Amino acid sequence: MSEDSIRILAPKEAIPTIKRELSRRNFLAFSAAAASVATLAACTPGGGAQPGTGVVASGGPLEANLNIYSWGDYDDPGVVQSFTDTLGPKVTFGSYGSNEEMISKLIAAKGTSGYDIVVPTGVFVTQLAAQGLVVELNHDLLPNLKYMDPAFLKQEWDPENKYSICKAWGTTGFVYDKTVITRDLQDWNDFLDAAQNEASGKTSVLDDPAELTGLYFWANGIDWNTTNKDDLDAAEDYLVNTLAPHISAFDSYPGGVAIPEGTQVLMQAWNGDARLGIINGGEPDRWAWRLGSPATELWMDNWSIATGAKNPEAAHAFINYTMVPETQLIQLDYIGYHTGAAGIEEAAKAEGLEMLDLVFFTPEQLATMKNGELNENQDRVVAIWNTMKAAAGA
Amino acid sequence: MTETKRIALERSAARRSDASDSPATAVKPRRSVSDRLFAIWGIIVLLFLFAPIIVILVYSFNTGRLLISFDGFGIEPFLTILNKPAIQSAVWVSIRAGVFSALFATAIGTFAGVAMARRPGKWVGWFLVLLVLVTVTPEIVDAVSLLPWVVFLGQDLGLTIFNDGIFRLVVGNSLFSIAVVSYIVRARLVGISASLEEASADLYAPPLRTFWRITLPLAMPAVLAGGLLSFTLSLDNTIIASFVSVSGTTPWPVYVLSAVRSGLRPEIASVSTLMLIVTLLSLAVVAWVLKRSGDSATQIARTMAGG
Amino acid sequence: MPKLRWPKATLALPAWVWLLAFFAAPVGLIIWYSFGYKPGIFGTHSNDILSLDRYAEALSPTFFATFSNTLWVGIVGTLICLVIGMPVAYWMAVKVPVSRRGLLLAAIMIPFWTNFLVRTIGWQIILSPQGWLSQGLEAIGVIDGPLEILYTRTAVLIGVVYNYLPLMILPLFVAFDRVGEPLREASKDLGAGRLHTFLRVTIPLARPGIIAGLLLVYIPLMGDYITATVLGGAKGNMAGQLVASQFQNAQNWALGAAMAVVLILTILISAAVLGLIIWLATLPFRSHYRLRLGSGS
Repeated sequence: MSEDSIRILAPKEAIPTIKRELSRRNFLAFSAAAASVATLAACTPGGGAQPGTGVVASGGPLEANLNIYSWGDYDDPGVVQSFTDTLGPKVTFGSYGSNEEMISKLIAAKGTSGYDIVVPTGVFVTQLAAQGLVVELNHDLLPNLKYMDPAFLKQEWDPENKYSICKAWGTTGFVYDKTVITRDLQDWNDFLDAAQNEASGKTSVLDDPAELTGLYFWANGIDWNTTNKDDLDAAEDYLVNTLAPHISAFDSYPGGVAIPEGTQVLMQAWNGDARLGIINGGEPDRWAWRLGSPATELWMDNWSIATGAKNPEAAHAFINYTMVPETQLIQLDYIGYHTGAAGIEEAAKAEGLEMLDLVFFTPEQLATMKNGELNENQDRVVAIWNTMKAAAGA
Repeated sequence: MTETKRIALERSAARRSDASDSPATAVKPRRSVSDRLFAIWGIIVLLFLFAPIIVILVYSFNTGRLLISFDGFGIEPFLTILNKPAIQSAVWVSIRAGVFSALFATAIGTFAGVAMARRPGKWVGWFLVLLVLVTVTPEIVDAVSLLPWVVFLGQDLGLTIFNDGIFRLVVGNSLFSIAVVSYIVRARLVGISASLEEASADLYAPPLRTFWRITLPLAMPAVLAGGLLSFTLSLDNTIIASFVSVSGTTPWPVYVLSAVRSGLRPEIASVSTLMLIVTLLSLAVVAWVLKRSGDSATQIARTMAGG
Repeated sequence: MPKLRWPKATLALPAWVWLLAFFAAPVGLIIWYSFGYKPGIFGTHSNDILSLDRYAEALSPTFFATFSNTLWVGIVGTLICLVIGMPVAYWMAVKVPVSRRGLLLAAIMIPFWTNFLVRTIGWQIILSPQGWLSQGLEAIGVIDGPLEILYTRTAVLIGVVYNYLPLMILPLFVAFDRVGEPLREASKDLGAGRLHTFLRVTIPLARPGIIAGLLLVYIPLMGDYITATVLGGAKGNMAGQLVASQFQNAQNWALGAAMAVVLILTILISAAVLGLIIWLATLPFRSHYRLRLGSGS
């Protein structure tokens, strides 16, 4: 049973003008530490990695490569390039559209997937650790943790950050084309209504199971983590029979193509992706963003290291590298999500970044966002997702 | 030539010259109209076939951020390829996997095709059943069954070669290719009598030499066509590759597939254009080799369609 | 003394072993899984209890709708390929001068040598509501608003026909070419009109090629879901996507395996049924004497 978790942004910290010096110092300290450690075998033994074992990296030399399995377009290319230029390892990315997909891949591959870093959403971390799909992080190699806002560390799914570090957190809402939907939409019920009327056949929803059943539950005031069979049956009936025929796409990244190209009229979207789509689309007045209400999701994506990772040193180095404050700001601008760094809101406002209302939220808004939960309804939720997709295709 | 054939040819020649002598006959104008209709249809279909290719070609010069919206002309996308090691690595992985699996599948398939053509027996029926099953099984079924299998072999049985990305891709790509090559080679050899090989055996040549000096050259057009087809199928293989590939050795189609989800960039079109040029060049080389060995275009087509 | 000779059939041994090891075994395993069930949230499969329940699930109404949708796209797509491809193949085999044939053949095959996914994306660009085709058609008044084809079943059909057309044209071309000019001429000399020649001589002789073309198109088409993913959006739900999703997202290998088996059976049974229908339909066109082509006419 989950309690309401209210996230309150940390009190402001003065942004030190010497933060550049700090990061340089930090880098020197880090490389000194790396150089002073004896050269141990840097890689975990290839192939049969043991599940859930302890720390796998010990500060040895960085490997030549790094494979990251992440959400689509989730890191600024400039940051990745400068990581390679500064520290060496070449980075390759794979992407997925839902946690289920990532977990399926890790389970099926049993450690041979080849990925070093994965980016699970918080609620899945406990189970990933229990199943031995992620390994423990070595905090000695992550000194930049001090730049993180403590409110975003020590989450209930991983109180000691043994397996995960906050990468970004965000929420779910929707975007609509004001030229087609001329009335003002406000909440999830308006979304569902418009989907069946003006936007029928031009509506897209997220390709992620929990957000689909969440759509029904949020609109109807039911706890979206419910395991009540009647609630789930009602959700399935509504989604499959009433809503599915009007859905034209299951798209987790409408900001990529759908918004700039205007291929859909009404889209359920994550806030950062919507922001990027509206900014890059070139027609910011055409689109309106609405935070899902009266209830919506709060999700947090985390850096984790997969079992069987061949490049754990590089993985730690990369995670550490991204936590430097200026890097955090660049990342925020690129992906459009709050990256959990301390004082980042002020920094972003000082930089004059656009559309920050889609990135930072008021305490009232935060109160409506609820964390997801991984419980017995998971199989049913995934089955509803598959059934809904089949129904939409008919 | 036989008497009947000669008469038939003479008659048709006469009829043709008759038609040209009297252009006002009812037969000729209708013939040329229908010929023209056929030609028009053919051209339309060709345009249909080339439309997306031309679009991709044009859009590979798109300087915009998204592939799908054309912003302007320029060669930036081609230059971006140089800055994206992910793309270069994907193409290189695809080429390597394609070459290895083509070589492997062609070799095994040729042996199997020769065996089927020259030593038919009861086993051929069973083997054909296996080949048919391979051909009839949808790629997705191959894919979902191969992944647990190679993971089992690699992890549970400890045969670490199955954890290697390229090897996994070769395994996945080779299945259909072996079936194709076997069938093509067999079809080619069945049409050629075994008398040359028998003569060679009569002259005391060991079986290996007969195979190498007689059988293989006879089957060479089929072998080449099969090899080319295997390479192409391997380059194109998306579904199996997306299931069994190991990160770090991501092949090109899998890269494009993930880009489809997160947003296509113009570089993808540019790379496709480059790959198309390379494929066409290698096609031209193979066609030239085949032509030198005396095959006409029709015979090449026949070989590729399995006789 | 007879020398010990390896039977030449051993040449096929590597192929046997390879195909058995990497095709028969894994697919057999999958079929085995289809009788199992999914244990718990992160379990993928278990065969402790055997049942046909997964098959019942796979054939439940919603999923059944996907299978029938796939069948519809498969059959209609193949037929359209046949209708479009046959005139082209006939033209190339009969009407075009021999010198040009090589060029045309290469031209037909060039799209085949482009990456499958990329040429489907090409169609996504062409059919885009913001694209030049949409704007052009709107400008000349053929349609009222932006082009609405993308992300519908029509787009999937276009994409699928496009991708598999060369696979229909090539065998048809070979088949028509094999019939040969002399036989057609002989038929005309004996008084048959062109249509009559076509129906009673060319088609029956080209029948193996026609069947090859139909199968070469129908079977991969039924298993294809990539085209549907790119061009169909939600509407492009083909059976292959169902199977993939069970393995890639739901971790329900048992259900996925059952769906895979249902897909294979659908393909085989539908191909057999269609073959039967075609055989029955062409019975009236059978000639009384069976013409046989020698090897290499």
